[in-house]
Amino acid sequence: MKVLIVLVFGLSLTSLYGCESDKDTPLPGSHEAMAEANPRIVADGWTPDLSFEVPEPGTYSLATIKAAGGGIVLDSNGEELDLDSLLGDKIVLLTFIYSSCVDLNGCPLATAVFYKIKERFKDDPKLSDQIRLISISFDPEHDTPDVMKLYGAGFDDGDPQWLFLTTASEEALQPVIEKYGQMVLRMYDENGKSTGTMAHVLRAFLIDRSKNIRQEYSVSFLHDKLVTADIKTLLLEEGVLLADDVTDK
Amino acid sequence: MKKKAVSKAKWIQSIATSACVLVASVVGFQSTAMADETCMSPYMAKIVGQEDYVYVWTLGVEGMGDGQDKLVTMSVNPNADSYGKVVNVLSVGGRNEAHHSGLTDDRKYLFAGGLDSNKIFVFDVATNPAKPTLHKVITDFVEKTGGMVGPHTFYALPGRVMVTALSNNVDHGGRTGMAEYTNEGEFIAAHWNPTDEDLRGAEKVGNVADGYGYDIRALPRRNVMVTSSFTGWSNYMMDFGQMLGDPEAMKRFGNTAIVWDLHTRKPKKVFEVPGAPLEIRCAWGSQNNYCFTTTALTSKIWLIYEDEEGEWQAKDVAEIGDPSKVPLPVDISITADDQGLWVQTFLDGKTRFFDISDPFNPVQKYEHVIGEQVNMISQSWDGKRAYFTSSLLGNWDKTGEADEQYFKLFTWNGKKLSHEFTVDFYELKLGRAHQMRFGAYSLYSQKPNSDGTMLSQTK
Repeated sequence: MKVLIVLVFGLSLTSLYGCESDKDTPLPGSHEAMAEANPRIVADGWTPDLSFEVPEPGTYSLATIKAAGGGIVLDSNGEELDLDSLLGDKIVLLTFIYSSCVDLNGCPLATAVFYKIKERFKDDPKLSDQIRLISISFDPEHDTPDVMKLYGAGFDDGDPQWLFLTTASEEALQPVIEKYGQMVLRMYDENGKSTGTMAHVLRAFLIDRSKNIRQEYSVSFLHDKLVTADIKTLLLEEGVLLADDVTDK
Repeated sequence: MKKKAVSKAKWIQSIATSACVLVASVVGFQSTAMADETCMSPYMAKIVGQEDYVYVWTLGVEGMGDGQDKLVTMSVNPNADSYGKVVNVLSVGGRNEAHHSGLTDDRKYLFAGGLDSNKIFVFDVATNPAKPTLHKVITDFVEKTGGMVGPHTFYALPGRVMVTALSNNVDHGGRTGMAEYTNEGEFIAAHWNPTDEDLRGAEKVGNVADGYGYDIRALPRRNVMVTSSFTGWSNYMMDFGQMLGDPEAMKRFGNTAIVWDLHTRKPKKVFEVPGAPLEIRCAWGSQNNYCFTTTALTSKIWLIYEDEEGEWQAKDVAEIGDPSKVPLPVDISITADDQGLWVQTFLDGKTRFFDISDPFNPVQKYEHVIGEQVNMISQSWDGKRAYFTSSLLGNWDKTGEADEQYFKLFTWNGKKLSHEFTVDFYELKLGRAHQMRFGAYSLYSQKPNSDGTMLSQTK
């Protein structure tokens, strides 16, 4: 099963970053590959370089969209916890994925962008301690805590914290995704048998310390520079950052 | 250990690279098989393949059938036994001046507005695409927005719907704004349009910032949102002939288009676009940084574009018919390849196809009379199918014999339109057919059984 996951995830990332075979190119999914300056992204509506000027943090406000939700989840060690307990102490960037996803506009893109955001905040305690990244699987049947641990192993170095969570069952998952309005469809063949794939619209949620969703991203705006500007806007609003602290990191 | 890791790494890379062929094939198939409408939000999930249904937001007519506004579901898949027929009618209670509608980005919900009642009806079109249900009715639009009136365009943003308004509750004129709602219909924020008195940081390029509103479209890759301007409640609810004869009323039309910062929702530039610019359609091509609009009263095509210096500009680029005869351009639709623009002119009932391969020089190549009056068009992504409806506004539609109310399908072979079928909305006692939106089982991992139930349902 682990081999299958690695295979599929490798396929996903290779698809995301281009299909050209080159012995000197970094391993798909490796830190080197993820940090490469100009990966050939083929997902529609997404470009590696933001094609417009990033707004200055703090010069705009983010409306409160709705309250973020909790729900019982499992961490990568299989420990049960309430998602709500992971909100409030930090600004949280949360998305829903599944490990065998090959949709170029979906999970591989979300994970790649999360990684770039993590790299932007890394090694700066003033910023790194303020945020938490959370990737939650919406395929609890296949994405066990062990699988999520494997999935996240190449990405999470704790700086800043990046949690890879799952749920114990479809029944446990449903109330969580419903709170975020994350529509997920299992794909069936003509005989009504599950194909093992799922359709979903990529979403990522920026959640403030009052546990409110302040931004929702889909493909076009899920960009590390833009998300970083939004996070800094919230930190300025909180007074955690001062205007002088805002630099183009 | 290192050697083993490298070996495993190359093995994974090899497998992944080989698999690219399969992935590329799948993606290629999806892009060529898309058959969705061409004028939707780029944030929205796309229909792959043939659309199954068209949802027609329909104005009720007093004394006709139940007299209520209704969402009419048309079956449009040629493989269906019900092809060309009405398969569901969902009345919403009373008349609201039903006008425009729009889907959420995940296409779970269809928002549909009432320009007079200010109600917004949120339909669930995902659970069973053949039989939408009413999920929610928003009744406090005016109160929540701080006085906006006439919810018009419903435009999908990630997890949200941007709702433009046409008027306000102070003078019922055209000063207005737009409001954001969650996909589930909860109010988020209001954004008032810039005016001469309060430009809200925008640059006034022309002589006027009237604050009027109408349509909205976005070019996410340029972080741009564009809005247009029509007229307020006092005009759109007035009898058309009476209004034309009222010089003061005729002064109360919008003359502006606004370019906004999409991410921050701040207005950037207010352009003077005289004569009520209505629908906005933005190009799809990755390098085509422009949008079109047409002016109802001056009968022109305008191009709103980003110049080589990265500055946004507005320019009138073509006339539609004979402007002196005021053919009244209404809905427009851009082809998926950005090469053609369909323009309907309400008063002569024509649709006109413009070659826009040079966006600065649109040239009309074809025209065809659709009916006594024509307003909306929805074309499929491949451009082969074009659906038309007839109604403009309850008090502006033609009267007597000329008041045809229909839903029509034409096919387009690149040279001419061919009529497929007509559904007479008056004969079926449905009312005035207005905006259309597509639905498909493929969006929700569903297909119908012969008994109408779903083979597979959303979990």
